[in-house]
Amino acid sequence: MKIRSAILFAGALLLAVWTGRGAIAADLTDVGYLDQAELANLPIFVNANRQLAAYKAQLDAQFASQVKHARSDADKQQIAMQFQQQLTDRQREVVGPLFQRAQLAIAAVSATRNLSVVVDKRIVIYGGQDITKDVETIFSSPQAIQPPAATPPPSEIGYVDQNALDGVPKVQTANAAMNQFETTQRQLFSARIAQARNQSDRQQLYQEYTKTVSDKQDQLLKPLVDQTRTATTDVARKKSLLLVIDKADIIYGGTDITSDVQNALAK
Amino acid sequence: MRSRSRLLVVAAFLATAGCAPNVHSSAIRGAGYVRVDDVVKHHPLYPQLSQLDDAIAAINLQSAAPHVPLGAAQIAAQTAELNRELRAAQIRANAILAQKQRDYEKRENEAVNAALAAAGIHGSGAAAAQQMSGASQQQMQQAAAAANADLMAYQQSVIAQNSAASSAIQKQLQDQASQKYRAKAEQLQQNETDLSLRLTQQDATQRLAIKMRLSNLALDPAARKQAEDQLNAINQKEATEVDTQRNADAATLRAYQAELSRQTGDAIRSQVGAISAQTRSKLEEHRDEVGSQLRSLGPPSMPANVPPNVQSQIAQIHRQYVGEFQSEAAKTVSEYNATKTDLDRQFAALHGADVGATGAAAKELDALQKRRGELYAQIVAQVKRDASRIAKDQGFDIVFINVLSAAGGEDLTNQIIKDVESQHE
Repeated sequence: MKIRSAILFAGALLLAVWTGRGAIAADLTDVGYLDQAELANLPIFVNANRQLAAYKAQLDAQFASQVKHARSDADKQQIAMQFQQQLTDRQREVVGPLFQRAQLAIAAVSATRNLSVVVDKRIVIYGGQDITKDVETIFSSPQAIQPPAATPPPSEIGYVDQNALDGVPKVQTANAAMNQFETTQRQLFSARIAQARNQSDRQQLYQEYTKTVSDKQDQLLKPLVDQTRTATTDVARKKSLLLVIDKADIIYGGTDITSDVQNALAK
Repeated sequence: MRSRSRLLVVAAFLATAGCAPNVHSSAIRGAGYVRVDDVVKHHPLYPQLSQLDDAIAAINLQSAAPHVPLGAAQIAAQTAELNRELRAAQIRANAILAQKQRDYEKRENEAVNAALAAAGIHGSGAAAAQQMSGASQQQMQQAAAAANADLMAYQQSVIAQNSAASSAIQKQLQDQASQKYRAKAEQLQQNETDLSLRLTQQDATQRLAIKMRLSNLALDPAARKQAEDQLNAINQKEATEVDTQRNADAATLRAYQAELSRQTGDAIRSQVGAISAQTRSKLEEHRDEVGSQLRSLGPPSMPANVPPNVQSQIAQIHRQYVGEFQSEAAKTVSEYNATKTDLDRQFAALHGADVGATGAAAKELDALQKRRGELYAQIVAQVKRDASRIAKDQGFDIVFINVLSAAGGEDLTNQIIKDVESQHE
């Protein structure tokens, strides 16, 4: 009897191990990350930003002087747009080449290390490949950086441009309604709180305000948030992606599923 | 026996396949992720974080202070009472002035009659002189009534504006005191939070080691009890230190509140005193001006048949009674002198104080946001440390945060939550 139990026990162990390891696949090791803050501290970036700041200060003074003579709000808007355009042009001129070189350096390091995606350091809390130093070295070298021969390999890390999702009509409508509601409630409660007799009344009003806004968020936005998450997960499954992150955290590579999610939401 | 064997088999299968995830399976691929916001909500320091969030939101909502060191209601009631007294005094003064006017008119008529009689003037001349004197008195009365009405209106206006200014000053001073109190309370709370975190971090290694010993099923009862006692001793030591700090802070806060209350009371009394003095001066200045206008009204012109010496005597009588009336009226008006403000200066100061108050709120908001950022960073740093340790122990290749959606990978959130909670039990 004891022998039979021992055999059964050993069999169960084997079964468990076999079941667990049955669907073994290659681990996700082709993910790199970059410390963008460290890169931005390179003297060349610091100098570029300083130049831009000086230019902006100069533009601000000119803007203040010109806007005084504007005859209407439309004039003011026109002047503001002109100045904004000037700043953007200068930004492109001063920082644009540096960004391009940084992108080339990141692409070169990614190709060398066979990375399918490079993300911002802030979202990786364990593991991954830190490519910051390699990128800095290539970026700072005097030689021209050649673009990689091939695009990055398909990545199982997907990304979504959340700003683009905000442009989906029903999301836009819900956001606008929520903003309107919040503004109105804020005005109403500010007035009531200002007239409150004591701290206890104020505290109660503040809690009432928080609950009112939170309830409205649940009513207006939560269904859309859930819908977006479901749509994103569905698309990720269909495309055999493991995880989906925000576009803002992607530096290089990755699989863009924004339009798929937009389409799913628009249905 | 057979059933025991089956149980063993099931237990072995569950222990191996069910409890720990296979991080290298095709579904996980060595990747994990943590929903940091959810872990943060279970962190022992979350209540403090939440409190800071509330404070920030409340300031954004222009919420007033949570505690007023000097009783605002009491001061408001005193101000209202003072205003009631002033209004009553005003009505009393009006009645007294009217009565005095009638008395002086009568006495002046009698004096003029006596003077005319002594001069042997009777009939048309005396009647005319009396008429003139009467007409003059009427003019005087009208002028005095108009001047008094003007003075009353001015006083009412001063009182109303003064009340508003005083209330605003009081509110301003109380708001400033409340801000100071709140800042102090938050600073002390932050100290307690820091201490709590420091103690937890300080004892984390020892606590973890004891817990690992306790998780050993083969530990004999005596050793288990010893380990449990050690754990309890650590918890007790931390709790005692935090409680001691908390009690000391509560005492500090009470003393600070009393001090603020005293300072605010002094400041209010001083400001209201200054307001009163300036208002009194303003009212006296106006009253003197009115008096001067009344004095400028000359004696009545006499008919031709009244000899010059009698005319002079009547004019003298008139001046005497007008002077006496004015003196009496001035005494009555002086009863109005209440403790109120110099309007121009106070309203200008009030405007400046409002601007200052907004600036103070902005400063407080900045400080709160900074503190909130530091506390959040502390919490997240601990979450990251715990996540890294767990990820390493379980053989993960990479762990992410800020994941929007997951079709695979292992969600480590619940494990981290348990870990964070157990370290702070």
